[in-house]
Amino acid sequence: MSAVLSRVAQRTYWLGRYLERGDATGRLVTVNANLLMDLPVRLPLGWYPLIAITGAEGLFRELYPHDAAQSERTVCRFLTSDARNPGAIIRSLAAARDNARNVRETMPRSTFEYINELYLYARSTLPAATSRTLRGEALDGISRRVQQLEGFLSQNMLHDMHWEILRLGNHLERADMTTRILDVRSADLFAGRHDLAPFEDIQWRSVLRSAYAMQPYNASVRGPVTAAGALEFLFKDERLPRSYLRCLRSVRRSLLSLPRRQRPLRLCAEAVGMIEATDVGRLALAGQSAELHAFIDSCQARIGELHAAIARAYFDVPAARAGSKA
Amino acid sequence: MPVNWGEYRAEGCWDELVAANGGARPGAGPLLATLAGLTDEQMREHRAAAELAIRAMGITFTVYDGEADIDREWPFDIVPRLIRSDEWRQIARGLRQRVRALNAFINDTYHSRRFLRESDMPAEYVLNSREYRQRCVGIDPPHGVWAHVCGSDLVRDETGKIHVLEDNLRVPSGVSYMLENRGVMKRVFPELFEHYGVHPVDDYPGLLSACLRSLAPRAQTAPRVAVLTPGIHNSAYFEHAYLAREMAADLVEGQDLVVGDDDCVYMKTVEGLVRVDVIYRRVDDTFLDPKAFRPDSLLGVAGLVRAWQAGNVALANAPGCGVADDKVIYTYVPDMIRFFLAEEPILPNVPTYRCVEKSQRDHVLANMRDLVVKPANESGGYGILIGPQSTRKEREDCARAVRANPRNFIAQPMLTLSTAPTLVAGNAIEPRHLDLRPFVLSGERVEVTTGGLTRVALRKGSTVVNSSQGGGSKDTWVIESWASDREAR
Repeated sequence: MSAVLSRVAQRTYWLGRYLERGDATGRLVTVNANLLMDLPVRLPLGWYPLIAITGAEGLFRELYPHDAAQSERTVCRFLTSDARNPGAIIRSLAAARDNARNVRETMPRSTFEYINELYLYARSTLPAATSRTLRGEALDGISRRVQQLEGFLSQNMLHDMHWEILRLGNHLERADMTTRILDVRSADLFAGRHDLAPFEDIQWRSVLRSAYAMQPYNASVRGPVTAAGALEFLFKDERLPRSYLRCLRSVRRSLLSLPRRQRPLRLCAEAVGMIEATDVGRLALAGQSAELHAFIDSCQARIGELHAAIARAYFDVPAARAGSKA
Repeated sequence: MPVNWGEYRAEGCWDELVAANGGARPGAGPLLATLAGLTDEQMREHRAAAELAIRAMGITFTVYDGEADIDREWPFDIVPRLIRSDEWRQIARGLRQRVRALNAFINDTYHSRRFLRESDMPAEYVLNSREYRQRCVGIDPPHGVWAHVCGSDLVRDETGKIHVLEDNLRVPSGVSYMLENRGVMKRVFPELFEHYGVHPVDDYPGLLSACLRSLAPRAQTAPRVAVLTPGIHNSAYFEHAYLAREMAADLVEGQDLVVGDDDCVYMKTVEGLVRVDVIYRRVDDTFLDPKAFRPDSLLGVAGLVRAWQAGNVALANAPGCGVADDKVIYTYVPDMIRFFLAEEPILPNVPTYRCVEKSQRDHVLANMRDLVVKPANESGGYGILIGPQSTRKEREDCARAVRANPRNFIAQPMLTLSTAPTLVAGNAIEPRHLDLRPFVLSGERVEVTTGGLTRVALRKGSTVVNSSQGGGSKDTWVIESWASDREAR
C-alpha cells in the first residue's frame, strides 16, 4: 500500500469526522424535539442541554444575548443553519465539502458530486429546521444522504490507507457523539420525583433513538428500557454499530493497518481498558448523575488525547529529518 | 425540424462539416443526416442530457469572482467536430516534427547555442526573453527533452489549410476536458457512434504516465510521480485532480514537499518522508522555488530547482522551457525545423509581424485596424487587441504599449478561423468559429493525442475561444477515412 500524503490524510480524516458530526447533530435535535413532546409540560427540560452538549454555551450567549429563555427556534437555528456557529450542521457539512474538494482525486469520482449535493440540500432546507413541521423532513433528508454516501464509499472505494483514515475519523467522531448523546440526559432530572418515574423510560428511549439504537435494544435486551440497560448498551455492546466500545474497536482496527501507530494504538487500548473496567450500569443509579457526567467527561478526554496522537503521528510530519540518512 | 442544411451558410469561412455548396464534407454525411432527422424536441433532449451528464460527472472549471471560487460547469456543444484519420495522421506528423525541433532548440539554447549563432534570429530575442532562465544553462534533462507536454493551437484558414497559431509549452491545460467530452458524447449521442469508427482518446493518461515515468532519475520499477498544483483556487484544479487520479499519482501542493540536505525531494506522508522521482508541475516556473525565482512564492518548494539541477528529480515541463513559448520565438519555429531536423515544416505558422523590428513595427502601427496584436508572453487570451473590433482608444493604448516595449508584442493578420455547426440559443444550429488544441507528449518517445480539444467561440462572429471568455468546447472525432465513402441515408 503506498503512503498517503499527510495533508490528504488530514483532510480525509476530517471529512470522516464532519460527515458523522453533521448527521449526529441532526439526530440530537430530532430526538430532543420528540422527547419534549412526550414529557409533561411542567418538567424543566428544554433546549438548552443541546447547547451544553455541543460545548457552545459561550458562543450561544454571545450570539443570542436576548434569548434568555433559550427558545426552541433559537436553539434549533443555532445548531442547524447558523453559519456563525462552528458546531452547526451547515458548518460541519461545509467543512466536509471543503475537505472532499481537496482530496477529490483520491476518492471515487462521484464522491465530491454527492457531497456537494448534500451540502446544497442542507443549505436550502436547514433554514426551515426552526419550524416544527418542516424540521423532521429536513434533518431526515440529511441523515439519509450522509448514510447513502457512507454506503457508496464503503462499496466503491478501494479499502486502502485512505479508506482506513476516513474510517478513523468516522469512528472517533461517532464515539465522541455517542458520549455526548448520553450526556444529554445525564442530569438527574427525576431525582426524588416519584410521580415522574413513568417518564424515565421515555427519556432513555429518546437517548437510544438518537443513536439508532432503540430497535436493536429491544431485539437484544427484550425487556423494559432502564437507565442501566441503556447505558450498558450504548457504552459497551459490541454488536451495536454506534456503541462507544464498538467505535473504539473500529478505531483500533483502522490503526492496525496504518504505520507509526504505536502511541495512538496504546491510547486506544487504554480507552478500551477503562470502559471495560467500568460498571456503567451502576452510574445510572439515582444520585449518581454527577459521577455519570464525570465519567462521560473522561471518555471525551480520552478521545481528545487519541485525536492528538493521531494528528501528531500522521498530519504533522517534521521536515527537519529530510535527507539526513537514518 | 431545427436543421435545414440547405440554409446553413458559413460566409467567407471554411466550415468543418458543410461545404460551400451546402453539401456534406467527406465523412460528415451521416452526422448531418442524423442532426437533420432530429425533431426540435429531440434536439432539446440531447442538449439537456449533455448538461445533466456534465453536472453528474462533475466537469467544472473554477473561476474566482473576487470573493469566492465558483465551480462553473464546463460549456459543451453536442455537435462533434470531425477530422478524417488520413488528414489527422499528417497533422500529427507535423506536430511531432514541430515539438522535436522545439525541444532541440531549448536544449541548444541552454547548451552550445548553435541556433543563436548560426540562424537569422538575433540572440538577444532569446537572451532577453522573459522566459529565459540563466540558471538552466548546462542542465541535461533526461532524453534532452525540456517540454514534455506541449499544447499547440491549430487553426484552419478560409482555404482549409491548417496553421499553428501558438505553442503552449509552459503549463498547457485542457486535456482533461478533451477526455471528458468524449465521455459526455457517449452518454448523449450513442447512436452517432454507430456510423463512425471513432478513434478512442482515453489512452492519454496512460501515455502521460509512461512519459513521466521515463524521466525518473533512479533505475527502478515504480517511480513515485506527483502532480504539483497551485491548489483548489486554480482554474485548472479540476484537471490536476483528474490527471492525478487517472495516473494514480499523488496530487501535491508546495507545502507537501520538502527538499532535503541530500538535494532530493520528499513528500510528507503518513509513513514519514517519501522520496519523489518525477513532478508533473502545473505551477509556473517563477513560482516553483522561492529560492530560485520569486522569493514571495507560497506555491513552490524551497530548493526544488537545486534538486532538479542535481538530477535527483525530474520536472515536467523543465524550468526554462517557456523560452520557446514566446510568440517572437514562435516566428522562428519553421527555421528551427530546417536547422535541427533538416526537414521542411509540415505545418505552417500564421504570418506574424515582430514589433521589435522597426520596419515591421511601423507596418503594425500603421495598420492596427486590420491586425490582431498580441503580447509575446501571455496566455488565456489576455491582453489581445483585435483590430477590426477595437475602439480608437484601445488602439491608441495598444500603440503606446507597443512603442514602450516593442519586444513584448507581435501582430498577425485577422484570421478567418474555420467554423462548425453549433447548437445555439433557440435550438438553432449556426456556424461558430473554432480552433483545436492537440497535446504532444515527449519523453523517451513522442506521442500525440488523437485529435485534441476543440474550443469553440459560442458568441456569434467571435473568434475568442478561451473558456474564461465565453468559449465552449466540442468533442473531436478522428474518424476512419472509409466513413467518407458512406453517404447519408
